[in-house]
Amino acid sequence: MNVLEASDVTKEFKEGRETVAVLKGASLALERGEVVALEGPSGSGKTTFLSILGCILTPTGGRVVVDGETIDPRRPGRLPEIRKRSIGFVFQQFNLFPALTARENVEYALNVKGRQGREARREAEQALAAVGLADRLDFLPRDLSGGQKQRVAIARALAGGPPIVLADEPTANLDSQVGGQVLEMFRDLAKRENRALLIVTHDPKVRAIADRVLQIHDGRVAA
Amino acid sequence: MVDLARKNLLHDKLRFLITVSGVAFAVTLVFVQVGLFTGLLDNATITIEHLDADLWVTSKNTANIDFAQTFPETAVQRVRSVPGVLRADNLIVWFMTMALPTGAKEGTLVYALEDFGRWGLPWRVTAGNLQDLRRGRYFFLDESAKKRFGPFAVGDYRELIGRRLKIIGKSRDALSFSTTPVSFMDYRLAQELSPDELRGNTTYVLIKLQPEADVEKVRREVQRRVPYNDVFTRQEWADRSRRYWVESTGLGLNLAMTVFLGCLVGVVVVAQTLYTSTMEHLKEFGTVKAIGGSNRDIYKILVQQAAISAVVGYLLGGGMAWLLRPAMASIDLKLIISPAFAATVAVGTVVMCLASAMISFRKVAKIDPALVFRT
Repeated sequence: MNVLEASDVTKEFKEGRETVAVLKGASLALERGEVVALEGPSGSGKTTFLSILGCILTPTGGRVVVDGETIDPRRPGRLPEIRKRSIGFVFQQFNLFPALTARENVEYALNVKGRQGREARREAEQALAAVGLADRLDFLPRDLSGGQKQRVAIARALAGGPPIVLADEPTANLDSQVGGQVLEMFRDLAKRENRALLIVTHDPKVRAIADRVLQIHDGRVAA
Repeated sequence: MVDLARKNLLHDKLRFLITVSGVAFAVTLVFVQVGLFTGLLDNATITIEHLDADLWVTSKNTANIDFAQTFPETAVQRVRSVPGVLRADNLIVWFMTMALPTGAKEGTLVYALEDFGRWGLPWRVTAGNLQDLRRGRYFFLDESAKKRFGPFAVGDYRELIGRRLKIIGKSRDALSFSTTPVSFMDYRLAQELSPDELRGNTTYVLIKLQPEADVEKVRREVQRRVPYNDVFTRQEWADRSRRYWVESTGLGLNLAMTVFLGCLVGVVVVAQTLYTSTMEHLKEFGTVKAIGGSNRDIYKILVQQAAISAVVGYLLGGGMAWLLRPAMASIDLKLIISPAFAATVAVGTVVMCLASAMISFRKVAKIDPALVFRT
């Protein structure tokens, strides 16, 4: 059963008097436990598509179903709740909170999702242990390497058990070797925990760990 | 719950220091300005508060106790016969010129009564016996006069309106709004020194009521018997005296402007630092949204940061103002910070900081969560 589904999604932006169509009928379906790579050149609309799949933007047209709930563009106030419940994000720039330790970064995300106190703390520690950072719990991001930061970001995305994890160029700021290790670990965790993982990337290494590779060109997705 | 607001705020210590310094500056300014003004107003009515009189008869439309006007002293006879009046006496409050040993001349505000002890004036005698005032050309001088008149001692002589008078005692804390030193002398001596205005005249009638007397009823009857005078309760008279200085002299407006500017500086500093901080943390706020947080979650962060800045700034500013008290006292200025005033400033500080955070609210509300994908 699909946990994430997009059919004929369109997205238009106003630029002055002109309307620019970024997505022109993009479709995609992801099942639990599936790892999918989405490739495309710059300007092809992949980040916009990722934003719509991640309930950050609403589509102009088409249909998006996230974890059984159809996105209603007329109710943007519903999106934070869906993100909170069903989606984890990993960003190219890691986007960790610099004032929080590794543990607190994960714990805060759990707090936002409604988990509090010791339960959240324990879950954060477990998530960090799963990405091999049990000995870096109290390190601030500035004291972590790029690979370690991305592993904290992965732990944060997976914490709380969202069925969908969306990653935007997760290896772009890592060297080749570390990037490969992070991807392997990311894939293993997603498979083990039965999450659907969509990775938007330029990195050819992602192909090696993905079950499927999709191409996006000029606002349309092709297998 | 991970305290992102506090940790973010304290993460950049220099910025935090600037923020709380802005708040502390505003708080100190408000405390010092209003505290000093309150101190001066306290001086303006300190004799009214300490004199054991329930009602005051003044000449018509007298603005405050220092600016007394004369009326016939026989009015006291009409007052004494009013039912409910325990006792009534004339009080003269009058500016007189004193020649100093240096040759300079200064004004002194003279309080003259027939029986000081009966009315509890002066309330702090540090040298001499008030009963002796009746026995000759004597007077008491408040210790605060030292600053204006130079050092003096019991037994010294000073010239008042061309007459040589002996200082036979000292008081403490008897002050006036204008900082003119206060003297005490016998009622008849005051009339003798300034016969043109004071012979047969007084400036106030003090009334002490019987314990069970109805204040309003007595006041109405006194007013009926002295229709060309005003009759005030102690509180009304004190309020009227204070109001004169606040409203009629422009000092109130001056103070309000200073307090406003102080608050404005505080608001600008806090708003600017919070806004800059918000702008610098925009991507983090975008991340909060991306992981499921709402605008409300971010508002809470900003509110908490504003509140922390308010509390720390208030404590710093309040502490500084408190530490300034001895320095002010050394130059005979009273810095009065009442608990009610301190509480008002505390609430005002929090409101000020929250208002400052509002500017950041607008920015946060418009954050596009998609910015988290931008490099």
